[in-house]
Amino acid sequence: MDKREKFGGVPDPRMANLPLARWIQTILTMSPAPLRPDNTSPLDDVGKAASSYHLPYFQQLPDFALALLKNDDQATVYYAPLIYHLIGCAACHQAYLEIYDAMSAALAVDSQQQVADNGHHTLALTPARMLVYLCQLLITQAQTVLRVARHEHVDNDAWARALLQQSLTMSSHIMQGTLRQRALQNLVDVALLATGESQDEQNPATRTYSSLVGAGSSPRAGKTRRRAEMLERSAGEPVIELQSGTLQGSVTQRGDILELHLRNLDPPLRGHRLQITVPLGSLIEPVRWSGGNPRAIRSQSPVSDQGHLTMQLGKTDLRLTTAEDRNLLEAMFKKLDVRPVDM
Amino acid sequence: MPFSAHDLRYHLEQHYASLNAYLQQRAQRYLGSLAFDAVEVDQVVGHVIEQLTHLHILGGGDSAPETALDRLTNAQFYAFLNRCAKNKAIDRLRKHRAPTSTLAELERPGGEEEEAQPMESVVETLWGTVPFATPEETALEAASQQTLRQLLKHCIKALSAAPHQLEAVLQELEDLDARDMVQEIRRLCGLSDSAAPLAHASQHRDHAHKKLRHCLQQSSTNLAVVVALRLSKYETVSTGADVIPVDISTLAQDKLSIQEVQTGLKHLTSEGLLNWHGEATLRLLPSQCKRLARFYEEGE
Repeated sequence: MDKREKFGGVPDPRMANLPLARWIQTILTMSPAPLRPDNTSPLDDVGKAASSYHLPYFQQLPDFALALLKNDDQATVYYAPLIYHLIGCAACHQAYLEIYDAMSAALAVDSQQQVADNGHHTLALTPARMLVYLCQLLITQAQTVLRVARHEHVDNDAWARALLQQSLTMSSHIMQGTLRQRALQNLVDVALLATGESQDEQNPATRTYSSLVGAGSSPRAGKTRRRAEMLERSAGEPVIELQSGTLQGSVTQRGDILELHLRNLDPPLRGHRLQITVPLGSLIEPVRWSGGNPRAIRSQSPVSDQGHLTMQLGKTDLRLTTAEDRNLLEAMFKKLDVRPVDM
Repeated sequence: MPFSAHDLRYHLEQHYASLNAYLQQRAQRYLGSLAFDAVEVDQVVGHVIEQLTHLHILGGGDSAPETALDRLTNAQFYAFLNRCAKNKAIDRLRKHRAPTSTLAELERPGGEEEEAQPMESVVETLWGTVPFATPEETALEAASQQTLRQLLKHCIKALSAAPHQLEAVLQELEDLDARDMVQEIRRLCGLSDSAAPLAHASQHRDHAHKKLRHCLQQSSTNLAVVVALRLSKYETVSTGADVIPVDISTLAQDKLSIQEVQTGLKHLTSEGLLNWHGEATLRLLPSQCKRLARFYEEGE
């Protein structure tokens, strides 16, 4: 109840609209998104936050808060849809309160005040869990951006790609393989949406390989594979290992050149040239792909009678001997499709 | 190394470590008795990083739309981050029902930002006096403020394409004692004052609510209302000419971009109130002006 009314003063004229206000709230209130339990760290539950946040409204909050703080008389007119959204969405309303308060703190300081140097910090000393978390957030954000684009018929592909590129780059600084794997868990699915690459139902891949993220990663970068089938490779040569079911393959480097080695390919592929697709290859650009298109890299020679093939994928300035470079390339080969060219 | 919002947007790889270190330090400072609980520190740091990602600050580059945060100075941006961390830390302390730090404890000398930020709001309430402080308060503003109420009226009127749904909502509003609004909408839609009882009223109501929800939160509807308001003012400057030429760039001011004006004009054309197909100059008829004035009946 209004204080003035309670103490016998002038009643708040808005109170006459209380029933209408309640009705508006009833029709706008969304079923609340499941909340993250208090004892769960946001670092363990990235997806939950994404499901309760509405990008088109959320992104207006800082400007809305600023307009209110500056007493802009057009604020309610301009942000009317956001205001109606805040009535019904508890998560966005909570975010509005936080952002309004933080913006008011921001405006209260001397804008030209010098910021104290907080010291020099490097990613190598940043807790890996914070890097994993950031990568997951960026991938989830890219997914949200794409979902909104579909819903509103706008093109957000470049934005989503920028976020995915960031997640790839940041993940290259995570040296523990299992953590890097966690960081990039949904990367392929979201990247396929972002690059406009859907599963080719007319011409499905005969084989799909994935890099074994973390299988041979640093701090023991350059781990040597010593399997019998790899003995022809010189000892100590760094590799990115690939797997497709029971089949194995690898990517190695000779100078600037990245080479793909596939072994024991299925009999129907033998004697045929192959087309290799690296879907994430178009996401970052450190590799100059053979033929120029990472979706259609053709082998110069056919698969041998024993099912073996070695072919050039492209050239790069990255080095498999450098941990970050290797991690970046390994993430890029999280999906590699193989199709016969001439069958 | 100090960083800016611009650094985090364009050079995240170089500055994420500093952001993380700063937030860790802030979190520990404000978490009081929980300062050495790694999960709690992660809660605070993780929350701020999540907000920054959702606000496109982290790694969005050129593609992500800018917000007011991008225009803050370094000092302001640090104050923003500091307050976000502080609020989340206090939230965590409250959830744990830990004894809240004394004012003196929270105020112990530290970052220069605190000197400019009075702490009383933190100890008493997180939010202080904030407009639209609760969803209930926001709904009351929507029902009371002229501009917000106009949008509501517009969206209810838009139900006239489905007369049963409109009638169901009008009957609901009558029950709520919002008779003025009901009478006005009936008059504008050319409906009689009393209507026969409606069969399947609840079903019609549910459909109507869904449409209202969509209409009220749709920016093109709102932009149409704002543009209609601006166009309706041309009636008063008209000197009796048959056609009033309106350069659409003149409508793009006070926060409205030219794209938003175009969205609004498209919406008004789709509702049959204008005849605009992307021209730089809109040819406005006096009769259209009158209809636009009814579309946005300011001051009623």
